[in-house]
Amino acid sequence: MVKIYSISVVLAPPSESCTVLATASDLSQYSFYQKGSVAEFMSFFSRTVVDRTPQGQRQSVQENNYTAHAYNRGGAEQLAAVIITDKDYPVRPAFSLLTKVLDEFIAKIPQSSFLNPSSISFPEIQIYVSKYQDPAQADTIMRVQQELDETKIVLHKTIESVLERGEKLENLVDRSNALSAQSKMFYKTAKKQNDCCVVM
Amino acid sequence: MPVQDRTNEFMACVDSIISRSSIPSRRDAKQKLLQNGKSTTKSEFSRMASGIGKDISSTNIKLGKLSQLAKRKTLFDDRPVEISELTFIIKQDLASLNKQIATLQAYVKQKKANGSKLEDGKQIDEHNKNVVTLLQSKLADTSVAFQEVLEVRTQNMKESKDRTEQFMYTTSSAASQPPSSSVLFNPRGDPMGDGSPSRYDSKRHKNGDMLALNLEAAEEGSGSQNGGAFMQMQMIEQQDSYIQSRSTAIESIESTIAELGQIFMQLANMVAEQGETVQRIDADSHDIAANVSGAQRELLKYYASISSNRWLMLKIFGVLIVCFLVFILVS
Repeated sequence: MVKIYSISVVLAPPSESCTVLATASDLSQYSFYQKGSVAEFMSFFSRTVVDRTPQGQRQSVQENNYTAHAYNRGGAEQLAAVIITDKDYPVRPAFSLLTKVLDEFIAKIPQSSFLNPSSISFPEIQIYVSKYQDPAQADTIMRVQQELDETKIVLHKTIESVLERGEKLENLVDRSNALSAQSKMFYKTAKKQNDCCVVM
Repeated sequence: MPVQDRTNEFMACVDSIISRSSIPSRRDAKQKLLQNGKSTTKSEFSRMASGIGKDISSTNIKLGKLSQLAKRKTLFDDRPVEISELTFIIKQDLASLNKQIATLQAYVKQKKANGSKLEDGKQIDEHNKNVVTLLQSKLADTSVAFQEVLEVRTQNMKESKDRTEQFMYTTSSAASQPPSSSVLFNPRGDPMGDGSPSRYDSKRHKNGDMLALNLEAAEEGSGSQNGGAFMQMQMIEQQDSYIQSRSTAIESIESTIAELGQIFMQLANMVAEQGETVQRIDADSHDIAANVSGAQRELLKYYASISSNRWLMLKIFGVLIVCFLVFILVS
């Protein structure tokens, strides 16, 4: 069962420690009392992984049931994004999701407010968490692949029905052949009747 | 062809020629000259150069072994541990050779800067530079061969992976192919042998552990230039990176689309064939209609003739009855 637990955007200057700029999580499966500690674990995990990821690199770290995929983009803004999922989440859409989140973040939030994390409001990150719970639908490439597979199945069914149609048509051909022969005999007999028995 | 060590044969030839030649006295003089002529610094240079040459030849031998191992195409008898060990060793050798050549070149430059004797000095400098260039070019050849071997290895690994997939292919795996292709996270010895001529720090930042393969031709610096071609090589081994997995996913989409195209063509073919069958049915039914209508015409004629004949028949019967009556009346 693929699941996203949290997504975070982190400011990661290369030499100093990193600060979390925006984060969103889906901890609905934990009980109320566990949520606090799980959230802390998530943020600690994210920060640690980002600290250890050099600039411009992607990395995946697994810890018990949780896998963190981190992408340290570096660049002028020195941003990095982390996504924490379970083991089954496919890797490639995770990284493309991170790239998307970072691009949107950079487009929306000016660099000046990086120093003031509490002033940053980035609600789209929560939308991403909920939308990408099912990567097969949300990720473009996977969705295209899925639709193509469905189309292929439909086409297979179509070909089967066309084969059946072919069989039925063969049947029809044979029957119409037989009927044509019989009607010919009918015609000849009728004609013979006229020629042979001319009565007066 | 792997490098062969034929020093012993050479020494045997030299000995035989010396024993055959008739100038023993000259030999002593030559030996004395050899001992006095070379200064310590010069012999230092030749020592370093010969050391480097020996290392290069041993690396070439190892590379030959690695290429033999990499060429094997068996599915099951693959020995990845050996191959990766050998690759690592060769990598280290190449790096150390690089450093040695660098120090040798620095040594040559320093010697030149320290001032040299006029006529001999220039020739000695030329000779040193040429030797350095020769060593650099030999190292370049070795690294190119190494890169090719790694490429061959990648190819074979890919082929063997395809073949194992063929043997273990099921429909369920086909349906789940797209997601599983991106979860292929096996660290493979995939070299990124692109040999791009870029500087030392052009690592491709894709995933955790990757080293860059850089190849700067020593042939650029034609030996007479100063810092000319400083050859550096770092081999890349890379895990399945994000971009590679993307490209595989897109390739699978492309192949799916091609399959769909095939299916559509088959569909069109089948429908065309069936169209012919439909035409036959159509012709047959036309014939049937014609036959049946003709038969109906005949029957109508018959019926008409029968019904019209009745009048005639009545008349014939009437005539017969009249004859009958005539016969009875007569008799």
